[in-house]
Amino acid sequence: MSNAYIDKFPAEAKVVKAAFYSSFLALALGGVFGVIQTLHRTDIYRFIDSADYYTVLTAHGVFMVITFTIFFLVGVFTWAVTTSLDRGVEDIRFTWSWVGLMTIGTVMAGVAILAGFVDSIDISASVLFTFYAPLQAHPLFYLGLVLFVVGTWVAGADWFRSWWAWKKENPDARIPLPTFMVLTTMIMWYIATMGVATSILVFLLPWSLGWIETVNPLLTRTLFWFFGHPVVYFWLMPAYLLWYTMLPKFAGGKLFSDPLARVGFVLFLLLSTPVGIHHQYLDPGIAEGFKFIAMTNTMFLLLPSFLTAFTVVASIEHGARQRGGTGYFSWLKSLPWRDPVFAGMALAGLLFAAAGFSGMVNAGMNINYLVHNSLWVVGHFHLTVGTAVALTFMAVSYWFIPQVTGKELWNRSVALIQVVLWFIGMTFMTNSMHRAGLIGMPRRTAEPQYTGFEFETAVGSVGELNAQIALGGVLLTLSLVLFFANIIGTAFGSRSDNLPDNGYAEALSGSDDAPRVLDNLKLWTAIAVVLVIIAYSLPLMSIVDRGGLFGPDITAFPANLESVRFLAFAVEHLGTAALESAGTLAWNTLPEVIR
Amino acid sequence: MSQATEEPEQLQEIGHDEYNPIGTLALIGLYFVILVLLWLFVYFVEFLGNDPTVIGAVLTMVGLQ
Amino acid sequence: MNIHTYEKVWLIAALLLIVGFIATITYGSVGLGIAMIDDSEETVEPSELDEDFGEPRVEHVGENEYEAYVIAQTFIFQPDPIEVPANSKVTFYVTSRDVIHSFSVVGTNINTMVIPGEVSTMTAEFDESGEYGIICNEYCGSFHHTMEGQLHVVPEDEFDMTELSVESDDEVELGNETTFNVAVENGMLDDLETTVTFEIGNETTEEEITVSGESTEETTFTVDSTELGEGDHDWTVTVDDYEESGTLTVVEDLEEEEENGGNNDE
Ligand code: HEM
Ligand SMILES: [Cu+2]
Ligand SMILES: [Cu+2]
Repeated sequence: MSNAYIDKFPAEAKVVKAAFYSSFLALALGGVFGVIQTLHRTDIYRFIDSADYYTVLTAHGVFMVITFTIFFLVGVFTWAVTTSLDRGVEDIRFTWSWVGLMTIGTVMAGVAILAGFVDSIDISASVLFTFYAPLQAHPLFYLGLVLFVVGTWVAGADWFRSWWAWKKENPDARIPLPTFMVLTTMIMWYIATMGVATSILVFLLPWSLGWIETVNPLLTRTLFWFFGHPVVYFWLMPAYLLWYTMLPKFAGGKLFSDPLARVGFVLFLLLSTPVGIHHQYLDPGIAEGFKFIAMTNTMFLLLPSFLTAFTVVASIEHGARQRGGTGYFSWLKSLPWRDPVFAGMALAGLLFAAAGFSGMVNAGMNINYLVHNSLWVVGHFHLTVGTAVALTFMAVSYWFIPQVTGKELWNRSVALIQVVLWFIGMTFMTNSMHRAGLIGMPRRTAEPQYTGFEFETAVGSVGELNAQIALGGVLLTLSLVLFFANIIGTAFGSRSDNLPDNGYAEALSGSDDAPRVLDNLKLWTAIAVVLVIIAYSLPLMSIVDRGGLFGPDITAFPANLESVRFLAFAVEHLGTAALESAGTLAWNTLPEVIR
Repeated sequence: MSQATEEPEQLQEIGHDEYNPIGTLALIGLYFVILVLLWLFVYFVEFLGNDPTVIGAVLTMVGLQ
Repeated sequence: MNIHTYEKVWLIAALLLIVGFIATITYGSVGLGIAMIDDSEETVEPSELDEDFGEPRVEHVGENEYEAYVIAQTFIFQPDPIEVPANSKVTFYVTSRDVIHSFSVVGTNINTMVIPGEVSTMTAEFDESGEYGIICNEYCGSFHHTMEGQLHVVPEDEFDMTELSVESDDEVELGNETTFNVAVENGMLDDLETTVTFEIGNETTEEEITVSGESTEETTFTVDSTELGEGDHDWTVTVDDYEESGTLTVVEDLEEEEENGGNNDE
């Protein structure tokens, strides 16, 4: 009999497994779209119509950064809370309810997007994952997003419930680190999603249903980025959680400092949201002063990541030294590089260090004239979410999937090749994307080959850049194939008793060293809210004052569709009941969340 | 053998007080130097070398030419 | 909470780095005068750009100073190409008629989002002549990838803002006179001294004109059809590098006047 997660929490293991499999399905779809895009825009192989490119890109963006990342997140967080509190969820039906909400939401949004490929269905949502008005998606898309986000809210409530119940029984104990990380991340998420919820529920959804005539494009865009920056930390936080609490263990060491890990997460909670305007450095209608404030906040947001870099590397080094490592650099050789879980996570961290650099450039207000909306940005976030997050998730899956299925990993060597391939593929793809961005090559463009001019390269050529991007994309696709082979191979395996124990890393400097105030979530929530109000109230007021709450006289693109009228009717009459019950559910859980 | 993560073999136990992450300091020091150099390169060569640049309507520019 | 000395060292270094980044950006803004797109322009109604914003155009507003009023819409920029002289300071005013676009001059640091209802303003100096591509780098619809334009920075001595138009008849009855009305528009602030050359058949007539700044000068050439004789006669009007041309047909009877005749300022 082993001591895996499934042995201790069989019911929860099912939930975590469902979340992981949903996320993998999204990853598979996203990967297919990813390679189509890569080959198309580099003009290596085109088999879709360029007009459909944007439907592909919408699907790639939404499936990757909404479905894949967040489904994996809820799996990890459920595991983290149950494991570190050492108690099951309070009510497994409640837990399944948010899995259900998130699934239905994904299916609705996914159907709306994919229907864009079929001309005979007049549903489409080729608006990219940023859905900037006046581009308009079918209401089904917005409704799906709403349900998905509500699902994550309920999931957060679930974890808070567990913690409250645990606190009653352990009134004086420190919050275990993994749970602390989950709770601070979720508070950040509640604050952040207010932006997108307002944007969709007050403006975009009613507008797509034809209930209001117009929207203010700058306002909905600003509300999106109110959410859009913290969401990147939402993707990142589960990876950080794994780097802090699992990676030291895989390296054979202990977490260097529990208190500093807490400090890091508190800083993320405080600083993630009041920075979103850094995505709007080049937007008209926002004063330069607001942009400057967003820039300084963003620069200070580097601090918790710098802190993480030190703490995590020091924890890994601790492992290496315990395994006999010596010297300034040669201890690196004593790390378990043949272990795909460790190797994948460490390589993800390495590329994240590179991403740190391009992120600093993105943050640098006036330098945005150079890089804004160029391929540089795509290079940047394939290093962050596309590698630091995605590769960490894939690598740690080689540990998690056996934990939640009770089956041994199908093939360790394939796993090792897979993570290394991802690393190599991303190195090719992102390096050349950064370079292409510097010469002005745009992102989100089906055919960045223009008739009136040519891009000028100082070194290399456009052809060489495209070839590297395409090569990277193909290696990544190969890597994904190996990943799924391993997951499927494992899923079809048989139960094993020979599994590693469930658990997470101990700390060298434990929670006893952490000041009590770090665990005061109410205090941090209050400060976070105040910071958001300071950062956003004036810009939002000014935007509304300039353009009006519902904006100028604009027309939606593409023009309103036939099926919308039917849906509007359905939502008005049949849907109100469903929305009401969702509302009551939210209201019932909200007081608990606020408490 | 095919276990996803074996417990890594441990040769010695190093406690909190005996451990100095000198390797981390060395690595991160290297990272610091790379960051500074790349920053200078991207700002002063790539960005400022990419003229013309948007300037304030009233200010007269000196350094930009 | 005790933080290891090494980690303290790193935290201090990290803070220095952060302050250094902010200092660099501030130097760019204050020292070099790089300004961000901001909220200095009034908002406009995208459906009423004709009144709020006017025609897409380039204006000469001061010595070596120009303003370009650009409208982005699916999937073009207007005017296209945008022409300005080298050694000039150009302020761009860009707005959108429909969805969000961008206005990005490739290979430069001139790049902005273009949001319906808002006007993006940017000033830049062009020291040398050259041709730039302009692209839209924000997804704006199915043909977003085709959205491009041109910015021509022409050598200072080749630059003008002259427009030539000619109004004339296509046909004239043998024995009658016909007139060519030539209008020369000068968009620059300075006066334009130039020669209008009119050629028809083997005849060449020249006329010196002075067009004052921001105005139009008209002149007329009269042709006697008897001298030309029956048949087709090619004509051209030339002002500096601009040329208008056409054909005048001299006929015996102008029977089908209703169908063919009339003024035609080809
Ligand atoms: C097989 C691996 C992948 C390939 C080949 C790939 C390729 C690409 C390419 C070429 C683009 C740029 C398209 C354009 O701007 O015209 C893109 C965009 C994007 N990718 Fe990936 N990618 C991969 C994996 C991922 C992963 C793992 C993530 C995140 C978890 C991700 C997230 C995104 C996002 C958010 C965009 C931007 C979408 C937008 O601009 O609306 N990609 N991808
Ligand atoms: Cu951001
Ligand atoms: Cu566009």
